[in-house]
Amino acid sequence: MDSLRNSLRRLNPLSETATEQSQGTQTQGSLAGRLRDSDFVESMPFWLPPTLLVLLFVYGAIAWNIAISFTGWSGLGQPEYTDLSLEMYRQLPADQDFRASLWNTILLLITFTGSSLVVGLGLALLVDRKIRFENAFRTIYLLPMALSFVVTAIFWSWMYASNGVINTTLNVFGLDLLAHNWIGNPQFKLAAVIVALIWQFSGYCMIVYLAGLRAIPDEHYEAARIDGASTLKLYWRVIIPQLRSSTIGAVVVLMVFALKAFDFIYVMFGTNPGRSVDILAVTMYREAFSSSQWAYGAAIAVVLFALALTIIGPYAYTQYKRGAL
Amino acid sequence: MTDDTDAHTDRDRDADADTDTDTDADRDTQTDTETETEPATDDSSRLPRIGPGRLALYGALLALVIGYLSPLYGGLTTAFKTQEAYRETSPLQPPIELLSFPHLDGFTVDPWFTAGGELAMGMINSFALTIPAAVFSALLGSLAAYGLTKVNWRGQAFLLALFLAAVFIPYQAVLVPLRQFWSIVDISGLHERGELVELIITHIAYGTPICTVLFRSYYQTLDDELIEAARLDGASLARIYRKIVLPLSVPMFAVTLIYQFTQIWNDFLFALVLLSDRANYVVTLELNALQGAMATDYGVQMAGAFIAALPTILVYIMFGEQFAKGQTM
Amino acid sequence: MADLQLDAVTKVFTERDGNQITAVDDVSLTIEDGEFLVLVGPSGCGKSTTLRMVAGLESISAGQVRLGDTVVNDSKPKDRNIAMVFQSYALYPHMTVRENMAFGLQESTTMPDDEIEQTVASAADMLGIDDLLKRKPDDLSGGQQQRVALGRAIVRDPEVFLLDEPLSNLDAKLRAQMRTELKRLQNELDVATIYVTHDQTEAMTMADKIAILNDGELQQVGTPLECYHEPANLFVASFIGEPSMNFFDVTRDDSQLVHDHFRYDLSNETGDALAGAHAELVLGVRPEDIDLQSTANGAHTYATVVDVVEPMGNENNVYLTIGDEQTQTFVATVDGMHHVEAGETVYAHIPESAVHVFDRQSGHALRNRTVESTTIPETKL
Repeated sequence: MDSLRNSLRRLNPLSETATEQSQGTQTQGSLAGRLRDSDFVESMPFWLPPTLLVLLFVYGAIAWNIAISFTGWSGLGQPEYTDLSLEMYRQLPADQDFRASLWNTILLLITFTGSSLVVGLGLALLVDRKIRFENAFRTIYLLPMALSFVVTAIFWSWMYASNGVINTTLNVFGLDLLAHNWIGNPQFKLAAVIVALIWQFSGYCMIVYLAGLRAIPDEHYEAARIDGASTLKLYWRVIIPQLRSSTIGAVVVLMVFALKAFDFIYVMFGTNPGRSVDILAVTMYREAFSSSQWAYGAAIAVVLFALALTIIGPYAYTQYKRGAL
Repeated sequence: MTDDTDAHTDRDRDADADTDTDTDADRDTQTDTETETEPATDDSSRLPRIGPGRLALYGALLALVIGYLSPLYGGLTTAFKTQEAYRETSPLQPPIELLSFPHLDGFTVDPWFTAGGELAMGMINSFALTIPAAVFSALLGSLAAYGLTKVNWRGQAFLLALFLAAVFIPYQAVLVPLRQFWSIVDISGLHERGELVELIITHIAYGTPICTVLFRSYYQTLDDELIEAARLDGASLARIYRKIVLPLSVPMFAVTLIYQFTQIWNDFLFALVLLSDRANYVVTLELNALQGAMATDYGVQMAGAFIAALPTILVYIMFGEQFAKGQTM
Repeated sequence: MADLQLDAVTKVFTERDGNQITAVDDVSLTIEDGEFLVLVGPSGCGKSTTLRMVAGLESISAGQVRLGDTVVNDSKPKDRNIAMVFQSYALYPHMTVRENMAFGLQESTTMPDDEIEQTVASAADMLGIDDLLKRKPDDLSGGQQQRVALGRAIVRDPEVFLLDEPLSNLDAKLRAQMRTELKRLQNELDVATIYVTHDQTEAMTMADKIAILNDGELQQVGTPLECYHEPANLFVASFIGEPSMNFFDVTRDDSQLVHDHFRYDLSNETGDALAGAHAELVLGVRPEDIDLQSTANGAHTYATVVDVVEPMGNENNVYLTIGDEQTQTFVATVDGMHHVEAGETVYAHIPESAVHVFDRQSGHALRNRTVESTTIPETKL
């Protein structure tokens, strides 16, 4: 175990090799460089085709989308890349629809992410208490994750229907007063969407947290016990703080998802769901693909992309810093 | 949860450390029920206090199960009801009960046939889309991860960062160019099924980053010395992949294929943007169309939702562990 | 078959922040055909990196690696005609033992299948693993996996045999057994071998020649007994031997070495050896060279108090303190039957013939113990 090399690798799996240099001043340096290059060349057939595909479809398309957002392209024609301006972006702030959907997007982002984490953590803590049939419980809680949003939107539209499952259940318990037209009333629309999405995603949070909980050595529980911590204190002071990295990972996934939560709203409400539940992902689609306001849609997409970057950027950077890449 | 915790806290306070195995038992030692193990180690006066905590735990778990399954339950009962029964009975009431009241005649399987007929073509198209797209994206991901993880050269970290970031890109940011791209590279003009091919390629391209990330996390755990040993044994990179890495990747292929199968089967957005010919519609598009066409017939909608979800539910039940692994990376 | 030569071999890693770390610094070594060289040093000293440069798994920043007359710096690993046994064994988990051993021959030679089969069978026979050929690595014990890893290297009939801490994953008993077996095997194969370890016992017991590395720099190359009795510097003196050599910081005052708690008289002969050196010195003596006596008797004998006794069975490690403040402790190894108890006052005799003297600043040995060249007295290992 020669550990300079290994510890370097542990610090950052790539640092040593990725930046290894042939020492120009030393006589054999260029030869060493050549040896490395032969690996580079020999490994090309493996990574180059997928890389090109991703560069073209992901990064090329993003650049193209930004270019389109600078044109005034709409209707049936083709974009004119000769006449570029910020016109589309100038229109955005005045657009009431855009402002409403930006606000809804952020609201969805925060409430959906926060609630899913809390519910997921609760599920994980319950399931982690050495219960019988753990597998069955886990399977049921995670099941919604396997369903298409189209499917869940259909199930939930029946949940929320005026004679649907929720109102009927309230009836049974004599709570008629609480029955509402959940997806007709603008007051409840966004909340209805969030509840359904929590249903779908809390199982995901649960397995992320379960993995985190299982990674905590049993000694921590035992040590806290010997220190005389109560169960509540044990979780609050010892266990939950150790779930930080699980939380960060889940937050990124949930937030990025919230930004693109299109399918569910589209299937439930159509292209024009109304200002109370309109989000950027839907607005973008409507502008571009229903109204053929291609450039304007592209500009909204750029805003969405920028929002995503503010979430992914710090995450990717810290991952890179920690050498997790 | 709170009740349960409090019960434990009370118990722990007056219990001595040696015999109080309750919390430890919860954690790691015993999976058997308390009633089986506790009487042996604890005095009987404690029994009633153990019961409520554990009962509350299972009560909470079961209540949550009801909550999580209620949308499916409501859908299932409704999918087996006639229009009349649908109007006159509560969605909570199972149609099985209706069988015992033949005069109501509320049980029917018609919605399933109606929905099945509507969705049949979509199901076939979905399989034709999902299987090749999942296989190729998994394969490309494995190749890329091997080239970027097990072979060392400069600049890998940068490419890996690009792959990782690509996992999180909101697809709205590429929709307009994607449509433009496929109108220029016009495969759909060549053949009536061309649109489906376009969709397959699109899914392969956008699935490759996550597959690469999944395979990379697996390949990082593969012993480097294994690859080095193979190099010393004289194998080329291609041979090492073929003879060593690929056979060892089988468990990860299961995870990745299941992840991609679920993702692509469930996709709606790309299909919505790229498919225009009804003959090429995948099942999610057909289901959405069905919902629009049968807006008032919840029975057919629910049956349709179950039919469309069936392949992913089956995969999920059969390969739950691999599914969970893919989700948590 | 040929000699392996390392000529001023250097490895520099560049960290992401631009820092350069010299892992191996200007190391020159010659391993003759059939010779067993053990490369030993603490963790992170660059010994594995050196080995990996020889294997071709790591590029060489400067210097040359020569096999016979050929410079192999730029050769691919497979073209160097070397075989390596890895610390983790690196057995292909999905292949049977036979497939593991045959893989190298299939990939790097044009040998026909039946000949491969034969070669594998005879190597397996030699290692006593012929009944394991159909099993997979996961079904094997650590010792068996170790043998398969050796077998995989042997079938290649290499010019150079490289072993990277091959015994570190075995339990103590098996390790001792494998040491002898490996040594015997290497004798039989008669092939130039580099063996990397951090365990000085392995180095002492197996090596024809030891190369001691610290911080990437070669400290000493020599036979095990040379390194033990004639260490080139403080590092080697402290690294080789268990328990370690005792060191006392002393100042030379004419014909005496002055320590805070004692004075050590020097003979003329020793005095001459130290002539012209700094006055700041380190006095070294191996634990087994210290005699414990019940009465003060003769020169170089000092009153000490027993602090702790570690019985090893065949011998006792006796930790002693000297001086009132009990700041200087040292250890003496005495016969297992020699009974001493903590708190007891005993007299430690430090014979001048066994004494090493080092320059405190540079660490260089100025005077090593005297060794009678024909019969080396009581090496206790």
